[in-house]
Amino acid sequence: MNGGAAVRSVKSNAAAIAAGVLFAVLLQFVLRGVMGPFVSKVMLDIGINIILALSLNIVNGFTGQFSIGHAGFMAVGGYAAAAITYYGSLLLWGSAAIHGDIMGPGDMLFLGACGAGGCAAALAGLVVGLPSLRLRGDYLAIVTLGFGEIIRVLIQQTGDVLLTADEVRSASPGTVLTSLGGSLGFPGIPFYTNLFWVWIWVAVTLAAVWRLKYSGLGRAFLSIREDELAAEAMGVPTTRVKVTAFVISAFFAGIAGALFAHLVGTTLNPGELGFQKSFDIIIMVVLGGMGSISGSIIAAIVLTILPEALRAVADYRMIAYAVFLIALMIWRPSGLFGVRELWELGPFRRRGEAKPS
Amino acid sequence: MTKLLQTLLDSIAVGSLYALIALGYTMVYGILQFINFAHSDVFMLGAWFSFVLARAMGLGGAGSGSIVQSLVILLGAMLLCGVLGFLIERLAYRPLRKAPKLNVLITAIGVSLLLENTGQLPQLLGKQPARMPSVIPDLVLVEAAGVQIRLVDVLVIVIALGLMLFLQWLVFGSRLGGAMRAVSQNQAVAALMGIPVDRIISFTFVTGSMLAAAAGFLYAAKYPGLNQPAHSTWVLLGLKCFVAAVVGGIGSIHGAMAGGLLIGFVEMFGAAYLTPHLRDVYVFTLLIAVLLFRPSGLLGLARVEKV
Amino acid sequence: MSTLLETEGLGLSFGGLKAVSDFSLRIPEGGLHGLIGPNGAGKTTVFNLLTGVYKPGSGTIRLGGKLLNGLKPHQIARAGVMRTFQNIRLFGELSVLDNVKVARGQHARAGFIHSMLRLPRFHQEEREMEEECLNLLRVFDLEKRAHEPARNLPYGDQRRLEIARALAAKPRLLLLDEPAAGMNPSEKQDLSDLIRRIRLEFHLTVLLIEHDMKLVMGVCEHITVLDHGCVIAGGDPRAVQDDPRVIEAYLGAPIEEGQGAAP
Repeated sequence: MNGGAAVRSVKSNAAAIAAGVLFAVLLQFVLRGVMGPFVSKVMLDIGINIILALSLNIVNGFTGQFSIGHAGFMAVGGYAAAAITYYGSLLLWGSAAIHGDIMGPGDMLFLGACGAGGCAAALAGLVVGLPSLRLRGDYLAIVTLGFGEIIRVLIQQTGDVLLTADEVRSASPGTVLTSLGGSLGFPGIPFYTNLFWVWIWVAVTLAAVWRLKYSGLGRAFLSIREDELAAEAMGVPTTRVKVTAFVISAFFAGIAGALFAHLVGTTLNPGELGFQKSFDIIIMVVLGGMGSISGSIIAAIVLTILPEALRAVADYRMIAYAVFLIALMIWRPSGLFGVRELWELGPFRRRGEAKPS
Repeated sequence: MTKLLQTLLDSIAVGSLYALIALGYTMVYGILQFINFAHSDVFMLGAWFSFVLARAMGLGGAGSGSIVQSLVILLGAMLLCGVLGFLIERLAYRPLRKAPKLNVLITAIGVSLLLENTGQLPQLLGKQPARMPSVIPDLVLVEAAGVQIRLVDVLVIVIALGLMLFLQWLVFGSRLGGAMRAVSQNQAVAALMGIPVDRIISFTFVTGSMLAAAAGFLYAAKYPGLNQPAHSTWVLLGLKCFVAAVVGGIGSIHGAMAGGLLIGFVEMFGAAYLTPHLRDVYVFTLLIAVLLFRPSGLLGLARVEKV
Repeated sequence: MSTLLETEGLGLSFGGLKAVSDFSLRIPEGGLHGLIGPNGAGKTTVFNLLTGVYKPGSGTIRLGGKLLNGLKPHQIARAGVMRTFQNIRLFGELSVLDNVKVARGQHARAGFIHSMLRLPRFHQEEREMEEECLNLLRVFDLEKRAHEPARNLPYGDQRRLEIARALAAKPRLLLLDEPAAGMNPSEKQDLSDLIRRIRLEFHLTVLLIEHDMKLVMGVCEHITVLDHGCVIAGGDPRAVQDDPRVIEAYLGAPIEEGQGAAP
């Protein structure tokens, strides 16, 4: 192994980790006091939306497929994680309240639940992706939308009375899976989500999506978007690559769902994770420019703040969105920032120079 | 036996409603190759226009409307939705005729959001569900062996069937239909043959929207509790009808009719004999199964991309 | 010389129409073979059969003795058959370099984990790949535009980039589908030289579809003539040129004149 490569490898990983942790710590322990509760809440929402937009961008932006069931994966991840922290807390500590301080046992359970939620969503992505990705783009759209709805209906059918600590001990996994609060929502999930965890996950997602885009797999994604038939002829196993994109994308949607589930002041509710939510995420990706990482981030920020700012004219908000979306497609079809990254706009710069690793 | 017959009747009634809406999806797909997401909203507005017209005519009391009144409501809703369909195509889709499909699809989602949220403005339809005045008398025509044949169901089936027969003639028997089929085969060549492509596309949208409006009227007559415009049930209903079009073979008129009925059967029989809560799940499972084994649908033709 | 590509009794029909029937071809290792025929003769269909885009209705395709029937296009590509397209199909938004890297990517060993964690192997391989791909672009005189989006290239460069992209995968057999289409005479001359050169430099076997008779007659060692999906003649350029069946297939068009062959 060549020494230069090893050094670069250590450097790029250290830089990524340091930047992510630093920012998250800064937000949680320094800026939170300055920002106050309202701004902090908005920062939480922004973080979760960035994760959602970045992850959907993998499928819709990089790979050029059209998934409109992203909220379904979010729901899978959210409910899986919520079941783990809620019932896990009951089993371990007898109550579902927050247990321990930051980085304490409760936080570790939550971290594990996030990972498990991501994996559950990834599994769902595999199950949906395998059959439907052989289909043409618009069929895929319908199947993903249908999948999202099936998930929603199934969650609504679960029992609305949660199990008690004693019941969980003797319950089978099946019973636990069917006691998720039904259509009324899942009450009492401990509020583990905070600025630190949200922005750590934003950093992880950003690093992953970034590295994906500038790697062999990322080039394969983009080649499928540009010309699927040519990609296949150039030796890209298109079906497998598309399913991979789908699974990675679902994983991060599951993480976002887990963070959303443990957010203060929200009740995890299947009605909230319907196609309306999926459309919200799509609008972010489209606005930011299909495939543009920086665009997705900016769009997620703008579209999280905008509704808060427009709260007074809430009735007209969605109308304005809709008109804006149509106008955008007609006059600026590749999104506000196009398919490129922000720094690639303007005078053309070599991508090699603009690319940290 | 009673349950079987009753379910069968329900399936046909619901299935023919689905078929009417599915026709709109399939016609647009056949001619422009994209999913017109806004179609479900045209259907929704068809139901709501019927409600508004019925109210305007002073219906809503104890009695029900006369045949003439009902007919006026039906035609009025069809007319309004026809105009709407024309405007949607003209303003939102036509500028994108040469754009990538993804853009058109997103635009369609935009139009859908626009219609729902505009409809939901307090000055217009409002955010509350409403109850459709009875436009068709709640009569039981025949009651045999415990099976009730209600007037509404008979009318739903008869009107839907009549409209489908008319469409059948329009597409396969008239000159206009010939032009429509030509445009769906190859727009450029059709234009060279002197077919006014833009006008044919407009006409297709208007026809599809009018069928959706008729379905909206019949739906409101059968299920008088109308959800507010942006309620997800509307999109879901539309989605099921799109599924019907895909299952039958997208782009195929007969496929949409067969698919609509099939979806009606699957949903109603699943609800009656398995569990009523999972009816949407049955429909989407059927979709995935059909797409896996016959990706071009039951009556559809496979298209091969030219290299 | 050993046989690289061998097809036997290859056939395909669309509905009732026989697009290709009983197509048998044998190309020796290192050969430079031409496939000609009037428009609609089924030449591109043969390419699509060879690359797995269409499944053959009958017959067999072997590459170096290995049966290719029923493989997916990417599997056939990985077996060593690369192609260009009649109507250029580059990855337009990707840079010239990335276009080449996509095809080169089938030989990458660094997997998902390597690239996610940016392990040393990833960096090393990226650098090697970049070097190799830039070298390849140099052969095609494209390295100066390596970082531009492919769609910004002029037409002739796009045609050459397609060939470069196919070569990046280190194929054994290169299928060129009308590489000279739309080129002017001097570009065509350059292309002839390029084809001869890369064939030697990359130890390639080439199968070429081309309408430009001068180019085909100039570079190919063996020519197969297709009409209505059937092979009507085959042999060295001179023999094919004088074959009455070929002249008839082209409706008496004087093929010696070069350009005029295709209607």
